[in-house]
Amino acid sequence: MTGTRTAGRKGDRSSKAAAGTPRLSRRTLLKTAGAAALGVGALGTGPGLLRWAGAAPAVLKGTSLTTLQATYFVPAGQDLFKKQVQQWGQANGVNANADFLNWPDLQPKISAAIQAGGYDIVELWPGWNYLYADSLVDLTDMTEAYAKRDGGLEAFAAADAKVGARYLGIPHGQTNDALNYRISWLREAGANVPDPAEQARTGKILDLTWDQFFALGKKLKAAGHPIGQAFGHSQGDPPSWAYPYMWSHGAMEVERDGKTVAFNKPMFVDAVKKLVSAWKESFDETGLSWDDSSNNKAFLAGQIAATLNGSSIYAAALKDYPDIAKDMCHTMTPRGPAGRFALLGTRTLAVLKNSKNIAGAKEFLAWWFQDKQYGDWLHVQAGYNLPAMRKWAKDPMWGKDPVMYAFSKEASIGRDQGWAGPPNSKSGLAFSKYIIVDTYAKAIQSGDAAGAIKWGADQLEAIYSR
Amino acid sequence: MQTTAVQPPVPAARHRAAGMHPLENERTLGLLLMLPGVLLLTVFMAYPFFLGLWLSVTDSTIGHAGRFLGIRNFVDLLGDSIFRQTARNTFIYALVTVPFKLALGLGLALVLNADIPFRNAVRAAVLMPFIVPTALSSLGWLMIFDPIFSPVSWLLRHWGLVAHNINFLGSAVLAIVSVMIANIWRGTPFFGVTILAGLQAVPAELHDAAAIDGAGVWHRFLHVTVPIITGVMLISTLFSIIMTFADFQLIYILTKGGPANETHIFGTYAYQIGLSATEIGQGAAIALYMFPILAVLAVLLLRYLRRDVA
Repeated sequence: MTGTRTAGRKGDRSSKAAAGTPRLSRRTLLKTAGAAALGVGALGTGPGLLRWAGAAPAVLKGTSLTTLQATYFVPAGQDLFKKQVQQWGQANGVNANADFLNWPDLQPKISAAIQAGGYDIVELWPGWNYLYADSLVDLTDMTEAYAKRDGGLEAFAAADAKVGARYLGIPHGQTNDALNYRISWLREAGANVPDPAEQARTGKILDLTWDQFFALGKKLKAAGHPIGQAFGHSQGDPPSWAYPYMWSHGAMEVERDGKTVAFNKPMFVDAVKKLVSAWKESFDETGLSWDDSSNNKAFLAGQIAATLNGSSIYAAALKDYPDIAKDMCHTMTPRGPAGRFALLGTRTLAVLKNSKNIAGAKEFLAWWFQDKQYGDWLHVQAGYNLPAMRKWAKDPMWGKDPVMYAFSKEASIGRDQGWAGPPNSKSGLAFSKYIIVDTYAKAIQSGDAAGAIKWGADQLEAIYSR
Repeated sequence: MQTTAVQPPVPAARHRAAGMHPLENERTLGLLLMLPGVLLLTVFMAYPFFLGLWLSVTDSTIGHAGRFLGIRNFVDLLGDSIFRQTARNTFIYALVTVPFKLALGLGLALVLNADIPFRNAVRAAVLMPFIVPTALSSLGWLMIFDPIFSPVSWLLRHWGLVAHNINFLGSAVLAIVSVMIANIWRGTPFFGVTILAGLQAVPAELHDAAAIDGAGVWHRFLHVTVPIITGVMLISTLFSIIMTFADFQLIYILTKGGPANETHIFGTYAYQIGLSATEIGQGAAIALYMFPILAVLAVLLLRYLRRDVA
């Protein structure tokens, strides 16, 4: 865990400023808030986000505020968020802290915070807003004002940001996901890999079916650099593969009614049988114990030729491995008989009901979701976060690097956990229990695809029949 | 002329009557001295235990007080294949590692009890696995078992003994074996040091007498040393079983119960269900399944200790 303790108490502000600590004055904040904040008058005196006009109320002085998020795989984004929290704290006399936790540790920590306190703002991953609904502050007014200002919610965010009629967190998007690959190795294996610039110009991506991908993997593994995929107990990469592969072979947790389990489908059984065979022929077989960082390390160490991941591998390559950065590109998840999918729901920044500083938390969010702060945060991660609001889809950031092209298309194939049923606490429970991920791990370990899928279906029945 | 009057002794009853300071009363002082301990036990042991007990018989979720269900959580768990697998894993984990720890600890103690060079330094060094925080040493094991950068895999590959990296934490059998190896490494010094203390209580005269009677090293160990250290070994074993059953950190850091729940033990599964899946009532029930086993062991331990005292 990393944490930042920001000195910003009432008594020490002047001394800190005198010592040369960078300090954001209210005047500066007012300027940097940008056009959106200035538009407050034009849009009337609406509540929440749009009410923010550059400075928090004086009553916040001397209070504390702590945020909790998952660690960033693009460290520049984490550093900036930490700095933004510090800036806001210093400017408003609030003792503001930013904490970050490893991905698998985030949810237990939030659960503990709900029971025992300690955090004001927490980052919820898709589905958690349903699990913690009774413990979250209603932010509907702020979110609706924000959506109205920024062109509405993207479809993937609209699907799961709202719990019933309420927004219990403000959506800030989701980390991206696509198939990362080494251009030269895939070409050597016979794939018709387009040049990244041409791909971005024509929109013609490397279009693979799962079968083609496995066949390609066989040649890649024979050449010494297999496909890499995590199936450990981790909440990023393992489900990012497991759910799309299931959906693209006609299976799902539940039908649209949210009750009828539709997991044990013949087409899916056949597909998992293929995966079991391919695991030996095409994959790095140690993937069963990989977590979210393992494939990043393996790709950057030159041990694997392709893996499903966000653009964090590319960001690290640009910084430290320029030869790999020049030889890599991304394409969309392979497609199956039932289509092409990506696991995609929005994360939200939520305020806990047991926070001792709900007013401060709302003020911070109102400030942070202004164009300046949110835009800087998006830009520094160079596309690693898919924004939840439509306005940002047109941001010039997306056209800057053709290697990032595939990510700009991800929202069009995104489905949330629980699809075709609605995302809710049951899909969140299945996700937290790794039911879908473990189905694959069991099949690979035992070689019994049908038995593993039956196990998964039984587990889902137990969850969805409650 | 000054005279010294000799004061007659004041009877205790008169002291009390004169308003003796309450702290001079043994009974009051005893109660006062026990109070901090009782408070600590109440706040940090009894309250969480009874809260856990209550949660386990409710359908509580995080942030939502539940309804009383009776023993339904416990019954439902019996029908949960992951729980059954977790119970099996826990028994295997504890019952395989403890004998290894005992045997290795006994050997370690015998070596440390012998007259070896730098004995004190070696004694301090072997305690390291037990002293280093488990979270830290588990990270060391995580590096050793790393699927991509394991130094063990690297060495074996470079010696031509294996063709690919070893799948330490990814294959069903190897994963539980790997976490057990790490547990044995961590737990052996506990046995070593405890048994060493027992060995030092063995009078040298007994060994000398046995040697004069013609007993060899093995017979002296079997008939002189073992009977004296049996009590220590028994207590260490019971303690170790309890600690191994209730393990959490090592497994959580190495595998989080994966792959496919092959390394879940009661502690990690309770954590996953209670805090990640937010079903805190059922999570408490999973954790409490350990209770009868640990309670029996604790009773055995206490009875043995009391017998010793008697």
